[in-house]
Amino acid sequence: MSELKTVTRSEIRTDAWGKVTGETQFVDDLSLENPLHGVVVRSPHHHARIAGIDTEAARRLDGVVAVLTADDVPGTKTFGAMIPDRPVLAFDVVRHKGEPVTLVVAESKLAAGRALKAVEVEYEELPPLFDPFEALRPDAARLHADGNLVTEYDLGRGDVEAGLAQSDVVLEETFHVPRVSPAYLEPEVAAASWRKDGTLSVWASSQQPFHDRDAICAVLNLPEEQVHVRVGAIGGAFGGKSDAGLPILAALAAWAVKGTVKLVNTREESIQAHPKRHPAVLRYKMGASRDGNIIALNAEVHMDTGAYASFGPAIGAVLSEVAPGPYRTPNVRVRTKVVYSNGPFGGAMRGFGAPQALFAVESMMDMMAAELGMDPIEFRRKNLWRQGERTPLGVLLSTAPSLVSCLERAAQERERLRQAASSPGKSSGVGVAAGIQPMGAGYGVPDDSTSRVEWLPDGRVRLDVGAPDMGQGTVSVAAQMAAEALGIDFESVEAAGLDTSVSPDGGMTAASRMTYMLGNAVGKAASRVIEALLDEAAQALSLPREELSYWGGRVYRGSDDAEGIAVAEFTSRAAEEGRVMSGEATFSFPYPPEIVPAGLPAGLPHVLFCYSAHVARVEVDSELGTIDVKEIVAIHDVGRAINPVGVEGQIEGGVTMGLGYAVQEEVKLKDDGAWTDSFTEYLLPTTLDTPRITPIILEYSEPSGPHGATGVGESGVGPVAPAIANAVADATGVRVTSLPIRPEVLVGD
Amino acid sequence: MQRITVTLTINGERRQVETAANQTLLYLLRDDLGLTGTKDGCREGECGACTVLLDGEPVNSCLVLAGQADGREVLTVEGLAHNGQLHAVQRAFVEAGAVQCGFCTPGVIMAAVALLSRDPKPSEHQVREALVGNLCRCTGYNKILDAVRLAAEEMRDE
Repeated sequence: MSELKTVTRSEIRTDAWGKVTGETQFVDDLSLENPLHGVVVRSPHHHARIAGIDTEAARRLDGVVAVLTADDVPGTKTFGAMIPDRPVLAFDVVRHKGEPVTLVVAESKLAAGRALKAVEVEYEELPPLFDPFEALRPDAARLHADGNLVTEYDLGRGDVEAGLAQSDVVLEETFHVPRVSPAYLEPEVAAASWRKDGTLSVWASSQQPFHDRDAICAVLNLPEEQVHVRVGAIGGAFGGKSDAGLPILAALAAWAVKGTVKLVNTREESIQAHPKRHPAVLRYKMGASRDGNIIALNAEVHMDTGAYASFGPAIGAVLSEVAPGPYRTPNVRVRTKVVYSNGPFGGAMRGFGAPQALFAVESMMDMMAAELGMDPIEFRRKNLWRQGERTPLGVLLSTAPSLVSCLERAAQERERLRQAASSPGKSSGVGVAAGIQPMGAGYGVPDDSTSRVEWLPDGRVRLDVGAPDMGQGTVSVAAQMAAEALGIDFESVEAAGLDTSVSPDGGMTAASRMTYMLGNAVGKAASRVIEALLDEAAQALSLPREELSYWGGRVYRGSDDAEGIAVAEFTSRAAEEGRVMSGEATFSFPYPPEIVPAGLPAGLPHVLFCYSAHVARVEVDSELGTIDVKEIVAIHDVGRAINPVGVEGQIEGGVTMGLGYAVQEEVKLKDDGAWTDSFTEYLLPTTLDTPRITPIILEYSEPSGPHGATGVGESGVGPVAPAIANAVADATGVRVTSLPIRPEVLVGD
Repeated sequence: MQRITVTLTINGERRQVETAANQTLLYLLRDDLGLTGTKDGCREGECGACTVLLDGEPVNSCLVLAGQADGREVLTVEGLAHNGQLHAVQRAFVEAGAVQCGFCTPGVIMAAVALLSRDPKPSEHQVREALVGNLCRCTGYNKILDAVRLAAEEMRDE
């Protein structure tokens, strides 16, 4: 293979300049013509029957254009990522605090604010359910027509009871993980404009514009051609902007008033009424032989999806798949119940079930190692997945998982961190955790990306990946891979904007899939656009097509043409004559039949994983119980780092999100009956909470990946909390089983 | 709502703006003047995305009433570059890979500019203290800290 030109270089992402000057326009920054302001009247109750809605007084206020209720929704009145269980605007009942009930459209923010207070909704309060165990009791109130169990999984292999009976050591523990918010800095925002030609233009801060379009079409009874969803800059998403909620409301408002309406959530609305990582209770029972082989694992998981399912079922699937960890355990049973409650709803958030599972299983691994008197890294290595074997869900591992190398490196880093001097009066500990993060949507779920490459008249190309960049730099990475495939400079690739009416469908920006999917799609599209160019060149030069070849922005005639002809000669001619030369290709996530087991629920199994290991050093103040996380080393196999600085950024950001999960963050029900809903109480890691993070990139080439690349978007999060919990146990002897780790559990006697 | 007239210097230019008496400086910039580089992340002074310099000092513009800025100088992210040349801090953010989603970026850059103008050689801990009011959910701060160090070096060399 020839030397790489741009792939593996830390090219500066194309959007960086606009972002440092303030020129980049996020949806709230767009200058719209005569925008109206939409505000949402939200439920003040966790659970209530709606006895009546009186919008008359609000409608009569100056500057109020419309006050919409569920009655104003012309099409389907509910929607959902997987199950259409969520009302666009509530009718009959409200199931969580902050649920949208009416939508006010006004000429000014001031008028909108007044109308918000003037809408009268009469509620009959109902007792709320917050505990998934209570919600599953036969006498519990049914929150949805089909009951409170959204879905359940019962997966595994072997005979767990027999395996536990055979084990020399059996450990049991229950873990609790909290509800946390993606807490991107840009709150959700959407704007929509009804045009005279009957089309609806929607601007959304969204990871899933094509899904949003389909949801809007269903709610408004409009054909696909009449709705365009556009995406510009996104101020962070982390899974939480895979949610059609606000785009639908903006579209409904614009359609209803035949104008332009913008909706921007406040931070309170964002925390209360947008997807959060699911809280869960995980009951584990692990059995091992005295010589350190895991014999059996039984896990029972209750995952609280709150009022609505969103991606809950798919997250339950990933959680169940990751629950046994990357270990060879011959007898496994994982039963996961995804349950409705009156909590704020759960949904996609970076890690998608893996962080919950990894906290439990990677804590169990250290507990078992301690019980067996083994080194925790050695115990893991002994039980790791191996090439040629099948995972607990039955996936044949055709390549060697690089976890062995991740853990070898972790052992070295652990030695280094153990040498660090601890601060006076503090006890220091070092902990390790391994990580796996499934890639892609899973078997049986459509998972495609289409990309298009087009020659511009000046010989440069335009790249259209049809998938939003939510801030991680995915479009620039795709541009690097396009440049590489065409042998041209990174700067010669221009990224197109995203508009569902013209862009190819790149699929959802999610599931650690972008580099892998886009790289493969762009590579194929590049081959096709080269073919289109050579067809054009053959015509222009009146030469047989097979005598021409392309490389590096030039067309060569025959084998002894040393100089070639610049592409621009042909592209300018084609442009003048009105011909477009483009190549489009679709890549579908591959599931080779020989490695995929049959009979699993849709979305299972995954066949590619991002592998990692983290090492954390903490210092615990035994009087105050406070934890200082002093350093985190994050070792990640990414297959190939297409843009190393970008990869480091993903790891560092993911680790910091994991740090928040471990020691700071929780959306909880307060004594006053309200949920945590502001940054005053919901504490994100700051510069003073976050230690220097040391990313270590390993590159074990994945044969099906572009240049060997896999993914890194989510894998930074999961191993952090168990590595910190294991470090805390090392420092204090206290085994923490609930996140976030509260000082009161660590205060010495 | 009562209207007021505010006279202030924004990015070196003297402006007179008529606005609502309860308008914040953040929305005077964004809505009245169309300077949308300054971002709204929480409206309660916790996230720092709306950081601008008021007479050289970093403030959360969401907590400052427009009237309080009367007669004063405001510097926003739009006022940093000169004749098409980026400010050293902006350049360093680009070069160090400190920009991901970019929503916190203008506020962080303004806080860093304020820090480096009063202390050209801050320690890493001093940088962390100066930026503690600016939340970033994407980067984990590593590359933001690198960028501020890089900018400090460049500004000393200039």
